[in-house]
Amino acid sequence: MKYLRRAKWSNLAVVIASSIIVSGCNSSSSDEKEEVSQASYTHVSQLGGDATAVSASDSGHGFSTPMPNLTTEQLDKHLAGDAHFETAFTTAPNSEHPELDGLGPVFNNQDCNSCHQRDGRSSTITLAQGQERVLLGPEAGIFLRMSIDDGECSNPSVDNNYCKNLGVDGFGTQLFHRGVLKARDDWQENPFIGQADVYLAYEYSTVEYADGSSVELKKPIFTIEQPYDVSAENRLDSAILQENVRYSPRNGMPVFGLGLLELINEADILAIADENDANEDGISGRPNWVFDPVKAKNNDPIPVSLGRFGWKASTPSVRVQSLGALRGDMGVTNPLFPDESIANTPLHESYLTRTNFVDTGVDEQGNTEASQEFSDEVVFYAETLAVPARRNIDDDSVIAGAQLFDKVNCTGCHQPEFTTATGELLVGGLPAPNGLKGQTIYPFTDMLLHDLGEGLADNRRDFTATGVEWKTRPLWGIGLTKTVNPAAGFLHDGRAATVEEAILWHGGEAQQSKTDFMAMTQADRQALLDFVMSL
Amino acid sequence: MLKKSLLALALSSALLTGCGGSSSNAPVVVPEVTPVVTPDVTGFSFEATEMITNLTNDVIVAGYKNLNDEAAVYLLATQTLVNTPTEENLAAAQQAWKDVRVHWEQGESHIFGPVDALSIDPHLDTWPLNTSDLQALLDTQSGFNATELKAFNDDVQGFHTMEFLLFGDGVADNEKAIGEMTVLEREYLSAAAEVFKTHTQTLFDAWTVATDATDANSPAYKDLLLTPDNAVYSSQLGVVEELINGMIGIVDEVGNGKISEPFGSSIDNIDTTKVESQYSWNSLADFTDNIQGVQNVYRGEFLGQADKAGIIDFVTAADAAIATRVDTEIVDAIAAIKAIAGDNDLPFRQAINDADARVRIQTAIDKLTTLQTSLENDVLTQLKEWQQS
Repeated sequence: MKYLRRAKWSNLAVVIASSIIVSGCNSSSSDEKEEVSQASYTHVSQLGGDATAVSASDSGHGFSTPMPNLTTEQLDKHLAGDAHFETAFTTAPNSEHPELDGLGPVFNNQDCNSCHQRDGRSSTITLAQGQERVLLGPEAGIFLRMSIDDGECSNPSVDNNYCKNLGVDGFGTQLFHRGVLKARDDWQENPFIGQADVYLAYEYSTVEYADGSSVELKKPIFTIEQPYDVSAENRLDSAILQENVRYSPRNGMPVFGLGLLELINEADILAIADENDANEDGISGRPNWVFDPVKAKNNDPIPVSLGRFGWKASTPSVRVQSLGALRGDMGVTNPLFPDESIANTPLHESYLTRTNFVDTGVDEQGNTEASQEFSDEVVFYAETLAVPARRNIDDDSVIAGAQLFDKVNCTGCHQPEFTTATGELLVGGLPAPNGLKGQTIYPFTDMLLHDLGEGLADNRRDFTATGVEWKTRPLWGIGLTKTVNPAAGFLHDGRAATVEEAILWHGGEAQQSKTDFMAMTQADRQALLDFVMSL
Repeated sequence: MLKKSLLALALSSALLTGCGGSSSNAPVVVPEVTPVVTPDVTGFSFEATEMITNLTNDVIVAGYKNLNDEAAVYLLATQTLVNTPTEENLAAAQQAWKDVRVHWEQGESHIFGPVDALSIDPHLDTWPLNTSDLQALLDTQSGFNATELKAFNDDVQGFHTMEFLLFGDGVADNEKAIGEMTVLEREYLSAAAEVFKTHTQTLFDAWTVATDATDANSPAYKDLLLTPDNAVYSSQLGVVEELINGMIGIVDEVGNGKISEPFGSSIDNIDTTKVESQYSWNSLADFTDNIQGVQNVYRGEFLGQADKAGIIDFVTAADAAIATRVDTEIVDAIAAIKAIAGDNDLPFRQAINDADARVRIQTAIDKLTTLQTSLENDVLTQLKEWQQS
């Protein structure tokens, strides 16, 4: 049975590290020994500053530790959110466990943890020998976003609906491939199906290095069948099978360190944006500007914010990201998103009629399926998971790899360092914990959008992000990915089984860095990978 | 001397975090630092290979083999029940369910790796089940097979769905007459048992054959523990940390979840709906087996087997007194859980509503709290003192 972990991790090692800081500074200032040139981040262990976890950084709990600098009250709130994160929702109404009901009626998974296993990446679905494709079911931590192709949108305003994507008629902007038992009219023949079935297959290619070694890459191919809006015999009539519909896969990603990322000063991010590549380095990071439901709820006249989270930086805060997933991925309404994900569609209307209006998403008193308290706690949990400390930082290969990482300009997008904001601050609309403030952090992301080339392109815009742009992923903790979930994959659709494969998928603005990586000796490539795996 | 990686951690923090790193990406000049040598006063040496090998092969993998073997026996019992629905065959299927449950519950002391990555835990042990959906399926479908059932949501599959079908609702008793079991219920049960068996086989194969069943070249998960310095475990320290955290996790879950949540803050605040295995009244056996699983990992052998290397040997190398104390605390916790039943074999579902039994339950909670505190503060913390060879 799945239960939360209440262990309060020792922060003794943090104390040890802190106690040596002073002597370290003293010794470095007086030391007359030989000096070597190293990238600034080479020896940094505590990537999240004081919000770094040390005592779980070698095992599968590496992403699941509360920030060690929370107050007792904050820790209690975090642990309550931890329980919510593992709550598996059930069909409403559930008289025995009303606190659990609200799932769906259509959804992608039943709990947060299923797509963010142990707070990390989801398992990549693989195919057995001879198997051509697999149906996405409970094991899948991936789903499809979708929208009507309506060109690019660069300046969000009320006139263009703040660049929100145009949903598919009768479906919306996310394909929910699972459902509660009676989600569809044909539930007796097709129990537990959502808006449509989604199948996953792969196409394979091989990349060769100059030294003759090679790596096989795989790319997911999705097909959609049994959409609810037509019969199986007449499937081509479905609104989601038309040529103007654009799809983009979304794989579950790690959820630690997010509060720190939200507290990076907006000005610091914008200061490193280079939309027109003024410095002519081939890299032109730019921000995504996105609709902000929190601002809209507060009647802000311009409900637009800098996008920070999601594969295309399409949400402005952990709150919007988390509660959007609660309502969307799981179908659980909440105070920020009180309407069911498929409200006002024929599917929802038929479901309500079929089930006698017992699962409307909001009760007679106006209460949503998840309460304000539940919502606040689960958001706080994701805001306050600690960043794992690095490993093996004194290995020669890791140190060499750190220099190579800078030399081939991985740092052009994977910006190593920021300092989080200080003062009276809000995070997701509530006062920010002090432990998030003023931290020197090493997330290795610039929080900006970059063209990563056709190989990774989804050809679907997301607010102002184009169909070839993706937000630079943070690299902190990436070396623990397989420790936390040995079946996890990298990139937006889990296509890369290793960090090396992920690098080889880079193109566009990262093409030169990839070319330089591929031109390295095998030993140097390994050193660079060793460095990334030490993060 | 402090172990190598922690010393490095401390040093690196000293070099940059504390001194304020450059905000640019440009290389900075960093002085090469002479390693700090700390007197060898608190560290300890321990050769972990034998312990890791034993725990991996003879505890974890052996436990999953037992689970898979008993799942086969259980599946056969449900198929017999379908073909020959008698009281005896129902009783045999009920007992087979309890037998397979033992190995699952003991294995909850090491919930990591494939059991998580392959979503086997939610497939096998989702709680609570969705009785209304289950009933709707029984009311509307003409038959069930494993292929279809495998695609159903987890809350109408696994241990507790099968438990409900085998034992009834558990409110007044944990007995079900064969006459109360419909043909479709038996068919559903057997299909669920078949799906269950595929999952236990998948789990066993992931540990012993290939972590990724679709890639014959992927390593067996056991090999990732046996030969660290791989993408999952960078060192033996990571493996030992995983094993200790596994024990802490289930002690926490039993004490603060499985027992405390139904127990409530007072007799007026109990919640029987949160009792695990409430239909079969198998709760106390579940809790006992959970902590028995902790003892298996701690001692390195199953109950009654000859002494082999376990976490106790690692702790003994650090501090023999702590090692003995923790071993006693595990024994005490198991005894306290068993004692909840009292002289009249009271099930946990009833015990939470009995004033005398509540005293015994509180004792069990206290013992588990003591054990958890020791594992966190006195066992896990030894990792930082460990000098790996």
